[in-house]
Amino acid sequence: MKINRIFNVICVSGVLALSSCSNDDDATPMNQIEEPATYVFERNGESTVSFSGQTTRIAMSEELVSAFKNTTLTEEQLDAMFAHIEGANDFSEASLNASDKSVRSKTAASRDYFSANTTEATAIKAEFDGWIKGQVAEVFPNWNTTATAGAAGVLQEAGGGSNRYVNAKGLELNQIFAKSLIGALMTDQALNNYLGTAVLDEADNITNNNDEVVVEGKSYTTMEHKWDEAYGYVYGASDTPATPNANIIGEGKAGDDNFLSKYLSRVESDSDFTGIATEIYNAFKLGRAAIVAKEYTVRDQQADIIREKLSEVIAIRAVYYLQQGKNLLTNPTVDYAAVFHDLSEGYGFIYSLQFTRNPETNAPYFTRSEVQGLLTQMAGGTDGLWTVTPEVLETISVAIAARFNFTVQEAGS
Amino acid sequence: MKKFLLSILTAVLFLSACSSGDDNEEQVTGKDAFDRKGMLINIADNIVMPAYHNFASDMAVLKTTTADFVASANVNTLLNLRSAWSEAYITWQTVSMYEIGKAEELSYRNFMNVYPTNTTGIEANISAGSYDLTTVSQQDEQGFAALDYLINGLSDTNTGTIEFYVDSSDGAKYKKYLTDLVERMDILTTTVVADWTNGYRDTFVANNGSSATSSLDKLVNDFIFHYEKHLRAGKIGIPAGVFTTETFDNKVEAFYKGDLSKTLFNANLSAMQDLFNGKHYASTTTGASFSSYLDFLNTIKNGEDLSQIINDQFDLSRSKASSLNEDFSDQVKTNNTPMLETFDELQKNVVFLKVDMLQAFSVRVDFVDADGD
Repeated sequence: MKINRIFNVICVSGVLALSSCSNDDDATPMNQIEEPATYVFERNGESTVSFSGQTTRIAMSEELVSAFKNTTLTEEQLDAMFAHIEGANDFSEASLNASDKSVRSKTAASRDYFSANTTEATAIKAEFDGWIKGQVAEVFPNWNTTATAGAAGVLQEAGGGSNRYVNAKGLELNQIFAKSLIGALMTDQALNNYLGTAVLDEADNITNNNDEVVVEGKSYTTMEHKWDEAYGYVYGASDTPATPNANIIGEGKAGDDNFLSKYLSRVESDSDFTGIATEIYNAFKLGRAAIVAKEYTVRDQQADIIREKLSEVIAIRAVYYLQQGKNLLTNPTVDYAAVFHDLSEGYGFIYSLQFTRNPETNAPYFTRSEVQGLLTQMAGGTDGLWTVTPEVLETISVAIAARFNFTVQEAGS
Repeated sequence: MKKFLLSILTAVLFLSACSSGDDNEEQVTGKDAFDRKGMLINIADNIVMPAYHNFASDMAVLKTTTADFVASANVNTLLNLRSAWSEAYITWQTVSMYEIGKAEELSYRNFMNVYPTNTTGIEANISAGSYDLTTVSQQDEQGFAALDYLINGLSDTNTGTIEFYVDSSDGAKYKKYLTDLVERMDILTTTVVADWTNGYRDTFVANNGSSATSSLDKLVNDFIFHYEKHLRAGKIGIPAGVFTTETFDNKVEAFYKGDLSKTLFNANLSAMQDLFNGKHYASTTTGASFSSYLDFLNTIKNGEDLSQIINDQFDLSRSKASSLNEDFSDQVKTNNTPMLETFDELQKNVVFLKVDMLQAFSVRVDFVDADGD
């Protein structure tokens, strides 16, 4: 243990006493939780933190989302990137090709939500497959055609802005795929798989962690590793994974990927929510320290904080994009490319709500069927987003914000 | 900023709700005795409308010289057309910040002056012979920058340019496109000017309250938005690579003409400063303005008048830009540093205008930076 490392020493009895407002002469002996200043954990001088599988899946997801704009690719090639098989030449990066990891296998695949719900898991995977199919079959052939209501094509944003490629309903499938993946892969795996007791405490995990029995050939216990894997779905693309907030907090900072890290950064930069990135990071850190100290109640309290806050990030971004789209729609000269872009991002974040986790109920803040109801309201018409009204967007925004601890106005600006 | 002011407002409301009926706060922060209507009249009658009328007559000349060139494409008619285009482009700098009323409704600025222009899109339109210039997607295929390409960018020589228009197979298509672009700019301009003349002036002046939709709130926001996005960023910051890792010498205004970019910048900078000071169009007389409003409010920053600080900063920006090459594209390519220094001077006024002036006026910012992805 390095002498210059700063430790935050918290006595658990103190924490419990404060939170429960009870008398403070609790005599139960407690392990001290030594919370490091950064996400650095070591055993015998060797780091015990590992989440390379998450880093790999984030990188695969990035390449796949970019590939949605490469019209030379076939549906089979995109499918292969989604459901990568070890050794196949699906990616530009050799290390990804060599990997045995796949994005699709971890999509809607958490222990808590989907191990006994393969019906929905299969339906969700099929929706992701459908977006790939729609992009290749419907959008690619119309890459240079101007989109109109009922016909796929391209629209350029005002002021000589970006081109947006949409299907017949005005939906930008690359945006929907990417933002839905934030829920179905990163959030679902982190909140409903690795932070859940079903995974953390599986088999002999508690005994082994208590006895510091490490995984064969590794420096970490299984429980430590599971927690790190949750961490990796948020921070796995960071160049400085022990201090990832360096690229998340502050002016001009945009996170380290185009998924959770980026949108956590966006929410953090909204003055109504400043501090959320630190809360999430600290909860990850304290929870991991609690595992080292074998204090599982503290660990689970941190998991609950992470669940609540990351769920909030998704909901805030959903409302934000709906409000952006609503404002653009009310302009006298409507910039449909910008509207569809914002609403397609919003669509993906709404889709992601079914993977959120309310720590009080251990269920998503919006069920799958509720999410489907919201999406039908927004894009269910024959011409989809071409006919959505500002009133409907406001209604959906209000409905989402009502289940969280923020207002439409806070999220929308 | 918006939220900061909102939280102040909330705090004020909360405080007043908890107190016993002493509701004077809102009087103090929301309204004052300044003659807002007088200021709006000065701005409308002595600045905005004369500028628009001048611009409309420049557009009329541009239309005539275009018709002459199309009727007989030769060096003489080409040079006349270029000269009319330059004149109109310079005058445009005195009206481009008024994205209010009909201009806002039509998205006037985005149809008049998006640059860089999309030459691939222009050539596709010309070749196809059919296009809908009213769609948002076609904004970078029309306006001053598209004309710049058509009269200055097709060839290095006059005769080379003329050849495009007299070509036996495609000449007619180029003529049609040139004519259609000028016609559209003229129609948009006529529509905006007619609206100011036929009623909007009175609406603008009568809307003299202090709500978010009042004329002052909207005008001040337009002013700052234009200053930040179109003067500071568009003309200087983006070509100088302030927001990126590389410079863009092809993203300057009037790229194909080359030596006009500095003139356009100075015209716009002066128009912005003149509006701030309530200076009558093409005159040295001044009237009620943002500046006199700040003086009325006696807004002091660091012991100095804020209106003076802002004017000094306008002057510093102009002075810093005076060393720049007439052609900003050349400047970016040969020595970008003076461009960056000009940007820095322009940026200092963003703070004075957007933070200090708006606080003094109790006006909220009504725009946010775009998401960027």
